[in-house]
This record gives sequence, C-alpha cells and structure tokens, in this order.
Amino acid sequence: MSALVPITWIVVGYAVIVGGAAVLGMVLKAPRPRWLDQMAWMLEGLCVVLGLGALGSLLQGHRPESMSTHVGYLAAVVCIMPVAIGSIREERETWSSGVLAVAALGTAVVAARLMMTR
Amino acid sequence: MTEPNSAPGPTASARRPKRGPHLVLMALYALFILASGSRAIVQIATQFHVAPFAYILSGVAGVTYVVGWFAIRRAAYGKPRLAEVMLWVELAGVVVIGTLSLVKKDWFPDASVWSDYGGGYFWVPAGLPIVALLWLHRTHEKSPEDGEKEATA
Repeated sequence: MSALVPITWIVVGYAVIVGGAAVLGMVLKAPRPRWLDQMAWMLEGLCVVLGLGALGSLLQGHRPESMSTHVGYLAAVVCIMPVAIGSIREERETWSSGVLAVAALGTAVVAARLMMTR
Repeated sequence: MTEPNSAPGPTASARRPKRGPHLVLMALYALFILASGSRAIVQIATQFHVAPFAYILSGVAGVTYVVGWFAIRRAAYGKPRLAEVMLWVELAGVVVIGTLSLVKKDWFPDASVWSDYGGGYFWVPAGLPIVALLWLHRTHEKSPEDGEKEATA
C-alpha cells in the first residue's frame, strides 16, 4: 500500500496543475484549448493507475478502516474526469474550462481522501 | 435540400441553453451530489445509530443538490422559477443546520454535510447557493422576457 502514496501525491499535484490551467483559461476568457483536454485525459490515465494500484492492494488482502468509504473514493477518483469531459465534449466556450477545473480539483480532493482512508 | 433541423427557428433558439457560468455551477452541484449523496448513503447504511439526525440531514442535503442541479439546468433554458425557490431553500438549510451544529453540538455526534456551514467541504456548500443566486439574478436581469416565456410554456 505504501507504493500508492507517491502515486497519489503525483495525482494530487497533477490535478492541481490541470485545475490551475483550466482556471487560467477561464480568467483569460479563451476558448477551451485542445491541450487542456489532453492534460485532463492524462490525469484520467494517472487516476486509472492509482485505481488499479488501490484495487490490487485490496485484492492482496489489505483492509482499510472503512471499506465502503474507501471503495467509494476509489470509484469516484476514476469516474469524475470522464464524466466531466463527456458533458462538455461539444462545447469549447470559456466556461467549459471551468467544468474541467471543478473536475480536476475535485479529483485532487478525492485522491487525497483516498490516501487518508487507506 | 435542407435538413429538417438545420433552420434555426424561434423554438430551437428557445430550447438551446445559454452558454455561461451555469456550466461550472452544474459541475459543482454534480460534485456535491456525488460527495453528499454517497456520504449519506454510506453513513445511513453502515452507522445510522451513531448520529441519525446528522445523517438524515446529509441525505436531505444530497437530495437538495439533485434538485438544485435540475433547477439550474432549467434556469439555463430560461425557466428560473424552480431555481429561485430551491437556491433559497438550500441557503436556508446551510445557515440553519450550520448554526444548529454550533449551538446544539449534542444533536450532532457526527458531522453532516452542512455542519459548520459546510466547513468539511472548505465552506463551498455555503458559497454555492450565494454564487448561484447571483448568477440567477444577473441572468434574469439580462433577459426579463424569460419569465414570460416560462409563464406561457
């Protein structure tokens, strides 16, 4: 389980960067750039790695303090970003960057909580 | 030859949601549906006896966020009536439950979503209805004909 700690911090740090970039795009009132979507998908890739690691840890017999809470965070960390990207895939206006900002910062919080409940 | 849906008529433009901050508000509401809803479900299912009042209030908060999400979506489509009611209900809930959690601590052996005015969620629950009400006020101010549209719908 300890190997998951650095992955979690990478996810949290990268999610904050994605969220910051999305907020910056919103502040500058620019249409959502393609590279922001790519950054968001990279974040999702990291979340999948984190999710698989946490799932592997559970399958190896590790039991968190609250299993239901831990599994809930595990599902959320993997699902938030694809749902957010899917909801704005036809929108490229400025405010759609805000949706990615909310999703990225939400992912950061959920990843941190996932580590706290391990 | 034109496709049936290619000509933008008044009906099509009325159905199209306005672009704007409501996208971010809806994303925040969706996040809180997930956070408060799943929290309430887990708490009620696994440890209801610990703090039944607080956990029921968490469930109420989750339902409020679901209705709030739909209300903002309707408002974005030019139908603000539900949002005008729901956002005030939500704000009242945060203020009343936040105050109760500070005054009557024995009623809250465990925190609910709106305890300490949403302090467990960085006070976003307290700010969310206020920001949404400001958005609603500005949007409604810009297009007073929307209310007429809704009245005729």
